[in-house]
Amino acid sequence: MLKNHLKIAWRNLMKYKFISFINLFGLTIGLTCCLLIATYIIHELSYDKYNTNASRIYRVTRSFTTTEGNISLHLGTVAPPIGPLLKHDFPDVEQQTTLLGMGTAPLRYEDKKFNESNVCFADENLSKVFTMHMVTGNIKSLAEPFSALLTEAQAQKYFGNTNPMNKMIRLSNQVNFKVAGIYKAFPSNAHMHPDILLSFASLNDSTLYGAKNLQTNWFNNSFFTYLLLPENYPVKQMEARFPAFLDAHAPRSSTGMMPSKISKLYLQPLTSIHLTSHLDSEAEENGDIKRVYIFSVIALFILLIACINYMNLSTARSTLRAKEIGIRKVVGASKKELLLQFLSESVLICWMSLLLACILLKLGMPWLSKISGTDLSIGMLLKWQVLVPVLLTPFIVGVLAGLYPALFMAAFQPVKTLKGLFKAGSKSISFRQVLVVAQFAISIILIITTLVVYSQLRYMEKKSLGFDKSQVVTIPWNIAIGNRFEAMRNDLLQQQSIKDVCRASRIPSGRLLDNSNAATVGDSIRPVNLELKYVVADYHFIPTFGITMAAGRNFSRDYGTDSTAFIVNESAAQMIGWKTPEKAIGQRFKYGSTIGTIVGVMHDFNFESLHQKIQPLILIPTDGTAQPFNRIAIKVTGASSATAIAQIQSVWKHYLPDEPFDYNFLDERFSQLYEAERRQQTIFTLFSCIAIFIASLGLLGLSAFTITQRIKEIGVRKVLGADTGSIVLMLSKDFLKLVAIAAVVAFPVAWYAMYQWLQAFAYRIGMPWYVFIIAGVLAGLVALVTVGVQAAKAAMNNPVKSLRSE
Amino acid sequence: MIKISALEKVYRTEEVETVALNKLSFEVRDGEFVAVMGPSGCGKSTLLNILGLLDDPDAGSFLFNGIEVAHFNERKRADLRKHNIGFVFQSFNLIDELTVFENVELPLIYTGVKPAERKKRVEEVLDKVQIMHRRNHYPQQLSGGQQQRVAVARAVVNQPKLILADEPTGNLDSSNGNEVMQLLTDLNEQGTTIVMVTHSEHDARYSHRIIRMLDGQTVTENINSLL
Repeated sequence: MLKNHLKIAWRNLMKYKFISFINLFGLTIGLTCCLLIATYIIHELSYDKYNTNASRIYRVTRSFTTTEGNISLHLGTVAPPIGPLLKHDFPDVEQQTTLLGMGTAPLRYEDKKFNESNVCFADENLSKVFTMHMVTGNIKSLAEPFSALLTEAQAQKYFGNTNPMNKMIRLSNQVNFKVAGIYKAFPSNAHMHPDILLSFASLNDSTLYGAKNLQTNWFNNSFFTYLLLPENYPVKQMEARFPAFLDAHAPRSSTGMMPSKISKLYLQPLTSIHLTSHLDSEAEENGDIKRVYIFSVIALFILLIACINYMNLSTARSTLRAKEIGIRKVVGASKKELLLQFLSESVLICWMSLLLACILLKLGMPWLSKISGTDLSIGMLLKWQVLVPVLLTPFIVGVLAGLYPALFMAAFQPVKTLKGLFKAGSKSISFRQVLVVAQFAISIILIITTLVVYSQLRYMEKKSLGFDKSQVVTIPWNIAIGNRFEAMRNDLLQQQSIKDVCRASRIPSGRLLDNSNAATVGDSIRPVNLELKYVVADYHFIPTFGITMAAGRNFSRDYGTDSTAFIVNESAAQMIGWKTPEKAIGQRFKYGSTIGTIVGVMHDFNFESLHQKIQPLILIPTDGTAQPFNRIAIKVTGASSATAIAQIQSVWKHYLPDEPFDYNFLDERFSQLYEAERRQQTIFTLFSCIAIFIASLGLLGLSAFTITQRIKEIGVRKVLGADTGSIVLMLSKDFLKLVAIAAVVAFPVAWYAMYQWLQAFAYRIGMPWYVFIIAGVLAGLVALVTVGVQAAKAAMNNPVKSLRSE
Repeated sequence: MIKISALEKVYRTEEVETVALNKLSFEVRDGEFVAVMGPSGCGKSTLLNILGLLDDPDAGSFLFNGIEVAHFNERKRADLRKHNIGFVFQSFNLIDELTVFENVELPLIYTGVKPAERKKRVEEVLDKVQIMHRRNHYPQQLSGGQQQRVAVARAVVNQPKLILADEPTGNLDSSNGNEVMQLLTDLNEQGTTIVMVTHSEHDARYSHRIIRMLDGQTVTENINSLL
């Protein structure tokens, strides 16, 4: 029986080649998209699960609260005493490990020198919490001061084929570390990838951090702290004891508040970090569960469009098969047997599609890896949790797509079909219309989302940030520069392509995470209830970034008192309570432990990405004695950036011959902040094109079929005097009506979805109304061209031919 | 074999009500060859559809082998049909996508006959209608007469007790038509009951009895064998 079903299915496939092609092609593309996106999703969901104890590992995070109780800052990192104290106070904690990221640090071995961005101080417990594999050496060497472990790639980079063991690498041209082992790099689906581990014990050295600091510094929250807890441990109960824990150990705030009132600790499951954690400090940029949802919906949309094609074309074609169905019924086929026959046809076509999709998947995988920025491979699909659903897909899709046509056809009355009285009833046409509307609605939604994402991205790239981000070269600060900075700056300014040079603790495009207590100073010192972020900047910060002043002036050497001067931005001035920027000038102000005078108010500018609102900001001047610097920024002339870079490099080489030279451009750094959105846009654009293409292929098949059905009517109309134009209009009108209905359905859905999406941006476009018109018109045009070309062909036929063919 | 009494069938559209069968009664005995004649629209085809369990009557009784089947549901009708009734149509009604062999095999598949047995029986019956040599051809590759012989083969392959033929020679020239009529006569002589609707007096002469219909009723019954 099945053999007979498959046989006739195959012959039908071959007989209606065009329709079969549309079905096969659509389903293949649909399944390929689904498989590609499934691979991506599987990868995203697999983060950190490679750890043997993944479900028992938690990260300790810390939030800070304003006096109103709002969380103003939530960090993935905590203060250094917290980890060891937690282990001490909570005996259930099986293991605890702490890591400190170094940011960008210059590292050197003989003549090999690089700026490393994944250097971490880590303790020997790291491998007791996380699953790690040593290639040579022992993880225990992390207990010894000034020892280092390297990944294989890093060992190769610095030592080539020589044995790296016991060699000395030099950090920041200050401290030597002895290589004590090689470990296998963390897999791509880990939420962090330290590739050089320095022993945490080294931090006890006061040149690096200091033992006392490690035990008492509750304000430096930059230590990643992980706990290994027992199976099914009541984490919530543990968290409930954290306020008491903080109050027992942490010092009170400067205003005398209990520590638990201004800050909270949390336990975050390791496996949830990658997709759901977007804290103010993360080891790396994480993924986003929303992106996973969005991509899943898109994949299902495309598959749905392909299924609708199948349903539409099969029911449309069913009139041609009416006779066959009638005969089968007459010779004894039951309804069930006919259902099975048609379902086996759709399942067969789905199987063929799946096979083709697997080939396309193989070809498409490297490309998806690239645009999604992840490391994907087909190997991820080779486990039963994935293979079983994949192998079931043809049955599910086959039944989904085939059931309606099968039910529709199996219900044919044999008497009518055999007498040639059969016509697809008006009911079937209306359902088919619903399906076409659904297809076009999906396409229109995808077009709108693509256009809105594009508009928002363009807006972010073009929006004036309130300062000049162009032609600014930035270089990581290197401790080795030390107090030679002024000399180096003067040499740089000698170069004709260089306009200005500054250094700061943070530069625009980075996050603003540092703050201290602020107070106005009048008759008495009155604390300001405000998260006022600070940046330590030199006197050239404002001109280098082209920041404009709303009132007052920049720091200047002409004023002897400027070492205790402050500059705030407009937001800060306003929130502190000064009605106009001018009112702020000359006010006495206390920030941290310094009392000084406000000398200037900057116009607001976007220091951080446009996802973030402009924060109140204060610039603290530096005379260069303290060096909390992070980067040097150099404003160059627009003439030739290559020349400028060469000149900067030569000055660098002169002062720091042994230090690596790395640079990037400020506008590129800003651009990178929107990398995730750009990827999203690429994927949206691509998939909406695919969706529209498949939908229009379906429309092509359907309209071709409809026109064949009406060929006699067209002939009669022509004989009666209709011209080609009126016939094309008549045939296209029906489909255009469907597109119009689809637009009405799609608009509110797309509006709602994109409204939600835009909420993630503090600075966003208004919903662009014209995007809706473009999407509607575009869908209409696609439909018009698809249907119109065929309609014109039919209309230009000699009517005699079509009438004779009856 | 067949006994119908006071059978009624009315077709309704929004405006018109057409009485196709008007209290029709007659009987067909086992082994009979009956021809049904009458002008277009007299209800012949409706009658054949009801006899073939493709359609159900609005009123009246239909005894098939002594069982009342007038109000059988579709599944039961299909079951009864595939074991007992073979059809021959004016327009052959072969499935274009299947070969001669596969077309004839189809009823056996639906009655669940095993493949080896199917092959044997299909070959036997193809032999009988002398179309064995074209077993692997598709219907479009055959002449009208050959297609109708295949259709007859398909009708009899399940060894039905009753064959219903709807103008079996209507699309054939006279020599091909005669061949088909001879086939039906042979089958009848081997014991199969045949009810045939026809316009052709010539074909009707092959039957034992002619039922003439007008406006959904029988008007006369001639007994050919007595002529």
